Order: sequence, then C-alpha cells, then structure tokens
Amino acid sequence: MGRARAVTFVLEAVGVRRGDTAILEDITATIRSGGCTAIAGPSGAGKSTLLRLLNRMLDPTAGRVLLDGTPLPALDVLALRRRVGLVAQQPTLLTDTVLDDLRVGRPDLTEEEARSLLDTTGLPPAFAERRTADLSGGEAQRVCLARALALRPEVLLLDEPTSALDRASAEAIEGVVSDLRAAGGTAVLVSHDTGQARRLADDVLVLRAGRLEEQGPPGDVGYLRAAASP
Amino acid sequence: MSHEVHVPSWPGVVASLALVAVALAIVARARLRITRELLIAVVRAGVQLIAVGALLLAIFRYAGLPGALGWAAIMVLIAGQVAGRRGSGVPRSRVAATAGLAVGGGTTLLALVLLDVIPAQARVVVPVAGMIIGASMQAAGLALRRVRDAVTTGRAAIDARLSLGLTAREAFAPHTRDALHTALLPVIDSTKVVGLITLPGAMTGLILGGVDPLTAIRYQIVVMYMQLAAAAVTAYLTTRLAESALFDEAHRLRT
Repeated sequence: MGRARAVTFVLEAVGVRRGDTAILEDITATIRSGGCTAIAGPSGAGKSTLLRLLNRMLDPTAGRVLLDGTPLPALDVLALRRRVGLVAQQPTLLTDTVLDDLRVGRPDLTEEEARSLLDTTGLPPAFAERRTADLSGGEAQRVCLARALALRPEVLLLDEPTSALDRASAEAIEGVVSDLRAAGGTAVLVSHDTGQARRLADDVLVLRAGRLEEQGPPGDVGYLRAAASP
Repeated sequence: MSHEVHVPSWPGVVASLALVAVALAIVARARLRITRELLIAVVRAGVQLIAVGALLLAIFRYAGLPGALGWAAIMVLIAGQVAGRRGSGVPRSRVAATAGLAVGGGTTLLALVLLDVIPAQARVVVPVAGMIIGASMQAAGLALRRVRDAVTTGRAAIDARLSLGLTAREAFAPHTRDALHTALLPVIDSTKVVGLITLPGAMTGLILGGVDPLTAIRYQIVVMYMQLAAAAVTAYLTTRLAESALFDEAHRLRT
C-alpha cells in the first residue's frame, strides 16, 4: 500500500490541444493529498487526459502541473511514474503468469509479497501461479491493480477501473481504494459512475467539454446531486 | 578461369524470345488480360539488364574500386527507401533502414576484404555488395514492419509498461526481440536449406561459368555467412533506430 506521504498536485492554467482541438482548457485545480479525488463528467470531457498528465504519459500544451511545488518536467520521469501508479481502463497483462506480471515493475518482488498483494485485491494467493491468458476481465483488472501497488506508489491513479467489470471485481477494487484512503494514501479516480464517485471521493472535479465546471466535496457538487435525484 | 566460358550469343538471346511467345500464347488463350503487363515485363527486363551490364562494364573498366563503392552506396540508398517503406508510420523509418543497411553492409564488406576472403576489386565488390544488401534489405523491411505493427497492436501493453516506470527501451524490448526474430528467420531458413532446395545464384553462376562444383560451393558458403552477418547487424540497427524515433525523451510513444 502507498506510503502515507503528503503529495499534492497543482494544475496551473493547464491546457491540452491536439491539432485544432482543445481537449482540456484552462484548468486550475489542486488535488489534495490523503484521500480520494474523483474526476467526474460526461464522456469526452477530458477526464482520462487529465489523469495522464499526472504521471506524464502526456504533457500539457499550456500551463503546468506541479507535484509538491515542483513542476513535473523537473522530476525524473521514471521515478515519477513509480511514485504515481496508474491503473488503466482496459486491463492489459504483459506476461504469461500472474507472478511474472506482478514483477514487471518490481523484478525483486518475493512470492510472499505477491501473495499479499493479491490478497489486498481480493484474489486468492494461489492466483500467483495462474496463467494470465485464463483470467476473466475482472480478475485481470485486479492483477493490474496489484501490479501497480507492487511499486508502493504514493499516489494511485485509476482510469474508469471498474467500467467493464463484474460486480465482485468492482467491489474489490473499490475496497482497495477505500482502504488506501483510510490509511491516508492518495488516489485519483476517473469515473463516469456518479455513484462510485459519491461512495469513494473526498473531493470531486467535474469536467465538461474540457473545462473545469465544479470542484468540491461530493455532497456539494451539482453534477453528482443531479445524477442522484430520480 | 583460363577455360572458355560459354554464354549465349546475342542471336541466342533473340532466339529465347520464342519462349516468351509460348508464355504469351498461354496468357492470350486463358484470357488472363495480362498480355500488356507481360510484354512490359519482358521489355523491361531486357532494357534494365542491358543498362546495368553497360554500367557495370563502365565501372569495372574506368571507375575501379571507388566506382564500385559508389555503386554500392547507391544500392544502399535504394534499398533503404524500399525497406523504409515497410515501416511507414514509424517516424524516420527510411533513415533508420538506410543507416542500418549502410552499417550492416559496410562492416560486412569491410570484414570480407580485411580478412582477405574477397579481393578489393570492382568486379568482386559490386556483386558481393549486391547480395549483402539484398539480404539486409529484406531483414530491415521485415523488422520495420514488425515495429510498426507493435505500435498499432501493442500500444496498450507498451503504455502499461511505461506507466510502471520502465524505460522506453525496456517497455519496447519484447517488440524489439520479436522484430529481430521475424527479420532473421528468412535468412536463417535459407542458410539451412541452401543447396538442398535452392541452388543459389553465386554457386549457379560459377558452375555455369565452368568452375567445378566443389570450388563453387566455397563461394556460396561465404555468401551465406556474410548475408547472415549483414542481415543481423542491419536488422538490429534498424530496429534500434526505429525504436528511438518512436519514443520521446520523457519515455512515451510520440504518435
């Protein structure tokens, strides 16, 4: 699990353009440490793009992103990606067995640690021996989560991690985020599932058409309230 | 080679056009609608080979070794374009292929001369360079095609590895291995079955020229080994250059 260290992302007038299209425009926001920030909004609003700025899989074309006061390009990018783990929307397994997959970012991971990581995500320890080709989507996503946690990241980024999953897997993944939160860790969750944002988030950023529409606790955010009303 | 080499005379070449007539008759009878293409191919082969023959004659007579090396350089440039096209979509794929071919072909040729395997004469350097560059072009083209496929089908996996803090090279390593593997299989296969299934050009040419088979195969053995080396160096370099063009300094795919 992530070390409970204070890490804060600050976005200053961040914009992302691709050609003539503005994907994100003039986003100024703070993502606080300790707790879960949800990025909500309709599809195509730029949620995943915003997430990818935080581990520099993408750089903004305007403005800047700071981590604990340091602009991201001033940090070693490989070290940054180990501090800021990412779980993608589509689970992608990389090797033949689950144990090997958990070791992609941590070649020194012991079998004991691997079993404990699998347990964290609600998978039985024997899963370490399983062939990745035989896993269901939900199992694969939980292995991807365990693989990200293997690096002991300070921040965990999750991009619609449960959108394609069965209920048990989705609950297991939400459980990991809740535990992380309770332990003082930091998570940033992209979700178009407003219920999930309400359950997990301490703070919500609502994007619409590339702009920041609202930010606040889940109870105060109109976008989530509107979705909750019948 | 003091003995008389028997090659067809010009009237003999013209007589072989009778064989083209046979092919034309079959094409016409089966209404394949490729008569025009066939005729163009026949004329083209004649013109192309006469031109090359004349050019080589001029190089051997008047330009010597520098001319032969210049000819080899032109072959590298042409082969680089052809192989580079296989990787269209990969940034600077033609540059990668051309550089790979230049180094792979150049070092192999230089090694052959330095080891005194072949003499540094224009009439030897040109055909040897042609065989080396031909095999290397195929290897570079296959490697680039696999690299291109890796970017389209393997993007999610590459991004997943990068997100785990792996370097661009580490994240692409499985694809690099795959590209090299694919690139080298044909030349390894043809090395395996040489003489059994194919009677390759150098050996066939020497036998036609009157050299006894046991002497002719010595040349062929050298040809196979040099093609292996050149293809390996070329494929490795081309792949690595293509790989470095794919990623930016922040370890992520450019496109």
